[in-house]
Amino acid sequence: MRRLAAVNRAAAKLGLYAGQKATDATALVPGLATEEADPQADAEALIALIDWCVRFSPAVAADAPGGLFLDITGVAHLWGDEAGMMADFRERLLTSGLPFRMSIADTPGAAWALAHFGLDQAIAPPGEQAELLKALPPEALRLPPEAAAQIGRLGLRRLEQIIALPRAPLARRFGAATLERLDQALGRSAEALRFRRPPTPWLARLALVEPISTPEDMARVTQDVTAKLCARLEAGSHGARRFEIAFHRVDGKALPLTLGLSLAGRDARRIARLFQPKLETVDPGFGIECVTLAAYDVEATSGRQGRIDADLAVTIEDGLAPLIDRLVNRLGPERVWRDAAVESHVPELSVGRAPVLGGAPSEAMPWDREVPRPVRLFRRPEPIEDVTALLPDDPPLQFRWRGRLHRVRRAEGPERVGEEWWKRGIDEISVAHVRDYYRVEDAEGSRFWLFRAGLYGGSDVPPKWWMHGLFG
Amino acid sequence: MSDFRAIRAKIAALESGTRAQAGVLPFGDASLDDRLPGGGLPLGRWHEIVGVGLEAETSAAPAAFAALMARPLARRGEAVWVLRRDDLWAPGLAGLGFPPERLIQVCARDEAETLMVMEDALTTVGVSAVFGEVEDVDLTAGRRLQLACEKRGGTGFVIRRRPFGGARHREAAGSVAATRWCVKPAPSEPTTGDFGLGAPRYHVELQRCRGGRTGAWILEADQAYSWEATDVAHPLRLVAALGDRELAPAQSAQARAA
Repeated sequence: MRRLAAVNRAAAKLGLYAGQKATDATALVPGLATEEADPQADAEALIALIDWCVRFSPAVAADAPGGLFLDITGVAHLWGDEAGMMADFRERLLTSGLPFRMSIADTPGAAWALAHFGLDQAIAPPGEQAELLKALPPEALRLPPEAAAQIGRLGLRRLEQIIALPRAPLARRFGAATLERLDQALGRSAEALRFRRPPTPWLARLALVEPISTPEDMARVTQDVTAKLCARLEAGSHGARRFEIAFHRVDGKALPLTLGLSLAGRDARRIARLFQPKLETVDPGFGIECVTLAAYDVEATSGRQGRIDADLAVTIEDGLAPLIDRLVNRLGPERVWRDAAVESHVPELSVGRAPVLGGAPSEAMPWDREVPRPVRLFRRPEPIEDVTALLPDDPPLQFRWRGRLHRVRRAEGPERVGEEWWKRGIDEISVAHVRDYYRVEDAEGSRFWLFRAGLYGGSDVPPKWWMHGLFG
Repeated sequence: MSDFRAIRAKIAALESGTRAQAGVLPFGDASLDDRLPGGGLPLGRWHEIVGVGLEAETSAAPAAFAALMARPLARRGEAVWVLRRDDLWAPGLAGLGFPPERLIQVCARDEAETLMVMEDALTTVGVSAVFGEVEDVDLTAGRRLQLACEKRGGTGFVIRRRPFGGARHREAAGSVAATRWCVKPAPSEPTTGDFGLGAPRYHVELQRCRGGRTGAWILEADQAYSWEATDVAHPLRLVAALGDRELAPAQSAQARAA
C-alpha cells in the first residue's frame, strides 16, 4: 500500500497528513502532485546540510529524518548574541529555499519541542524553558508512540499538566522513557547527542569580510587560520596528528581538505605548506566566505627545546617527520612505507607494510638472516620454460627465462614451502600448491630464486617452474 | 708520493670551495681505496650504479651492491629507497646485513618524482643515504642532486634502471656523479668442502671517478646470510683486482671534467 511520507505546508492545510493512504489523499485532493520518497537522498541531503552548519558550530548532530541539533555553547557571541546568530542562520537558510523552523533553548529536548510545536524562532532565556514548554502538547516531548497515545487517552493536552504530575506515578503509568524525556527537556538530566563529527575544542574559524577566490588569497587564509589554531595548540603544549580545513563557499557548500601528520605537530608554517599543493583542488566557485580548521587526534607534546649544536642532537621531529609528512601527503600513504616482518613461511606473505613513523612496534619474529633471500622479489612469479632436471627433486640444469637460456652452474635446494592450508577450505588444498625453492647460479654468475610448484608423479598436472626473485 | 698526495689534497680543498667536507667511506682495502679521492667513497656526493644486460632491467646486483656499499651509512641514520616498481625485498637486504628497520621505501610515479623525492630526502636531517632507481639523470637533475647532497652531507646512490621491455635509453652526455660503478654478478666460489653457492660476488668496475682513478675488481659480500653480517666493519671483501687498463680513459675523463 502506498502512503504519504511527507507533506508540505499547502498540503497540510488541505487536511493531508503523513502516513495517509495515497489513494485517500488523491481522492481528497484530485490532481495532487506527488513525488516518490527517496529516504537515501533525504539522508544525504541532511548530511550535506549538517556539513554546511559546521560554519556555525563544530558540534552538529543529526535528528533524522528532517532535523538537526546545533550545539552553540560558546559560539553565539561571535554573532553578538543568540538572536544575532539566529538571524544570520535564518537568512542563509532562506537563500537555500528550504522550509524550516528553529529555536534556541538550554536543552536539546526543549529546543526540539519549541521548534516543532512552539513559536518559530523562539529563544528560551537560560533556565526558563519550562515556562515556554507549558503550553505545548505532550507530543513535543519526543515520546514513544504508545506513551503518547496513553497520555492522549487520559486527556492530558498540555505539557504543564504532565509537569504538575507526581513523578513516581508518571513513570509507572507512562514508562520511564516519558519521565526521562521530560527531565531532558527541562534540563534535569543531560542528553548526549551523537554529533556528526566528534566535537573538537581545537577549532579555528576565520570569517572573511569579502569572499575570496584567488589561489594566493586562499594560501594566505590557510596560513592565517593555521597560525591561529597552532598558537592555541602551542599555548596548551599540544600537538595534533590530523587537520581538516574546510572552505565554506558563498553558495553554501563546504569543501574539506584533510591532512595527516606522522607525529603530532603544531608548526603552523609546516602545516600550511602541506596544505598548499592541495589547495588547487578546491574550486572556490563564486567565492569563499569562511574558513574553518579543526585539529583531531590532539595529544600532549613536549615543548620545543633549543639545541646547542644542530649536528649532534638530531631529533625525528626536526628532520624525518616533516619529510615523511611531505611524501605521504604528496604521494599518498600507500606509497611510503617500511617493510615489516610478518610471521609466515610463505615468502610473499612474510613482508608487511608498516607506517614509517608512529607505528606500533612489531611483535613478529624478525626474518631469519641465515636463509638466503633475494633482493628483488617479483610480485607475480614469472614462468620459466625448457627446464631440464636430472631427477624429480634435482635443481634444474638449464632453463629459459625472458627468452634467454641459462645454464646452471651451482645450485642449492630444495627448500620446501607448503601453502597455508589452515587458512583454506579442505577441498582447496592440493599438492599442486607445494613449492620447492632452489637458489641457482648460472654460468655468468647471476643468482636466481626458482621454484617448482607441485610434485612429480603426484597428480595428473605436471609441475610448473617459476622464477620468483633475483639475488643479484 | 707524499708530495703528490699533498698536492692532490690541496686541489681537492680548492675544488670543494665552501662546501662542508662530509668525509669518506673506506672499503677497507688499499687497492680500492687508493683509487678513490680521500681514500674511500666520498660522502656528501652522489654515486651512479649501472647494471649491464639483463641487470639493466632487473637491477638486482646493482641494488645489492649499493646496499652493501652504503651499509655503514645506514647505521648513522635512515636510508630512503625511492622506487618505480616496488620489487625491492627487505628480507634479501637484511640477509646482506643491511638493517631493514632503517629502510624507508617510497614508490614514485615517474622519473621526475623519483628525483624530486631523492632531493627532498637528501636535504633532510637524519637521513644518511638515499637510493633512487631512475632511468637516466641529465645534467640539470644531476646538479640539483649534487646541491641537495651538499646541503646536509647526505649521500645519494642513483641506480640506473630501465623499465621492463623498454628501449635502450640514450646515454646522457655528461654526469656530475662523483663515481660511476658498473656492477655485474660474478660466479661465486664456495669454500672448499661446501656445496651449493658461495657468498655473493660482484664484478665491479669503477668507470668514472672524480679526483681518482678507475679500476675493476671482484668483490665478495663478507659474512652474507649470517647474523654477524651487520657487525662486519667493511661489508665488501676484495677477491681479485682486475687489469689496470683504464688509466688512459680516466685521464681523458678528468680532462673533460676540467
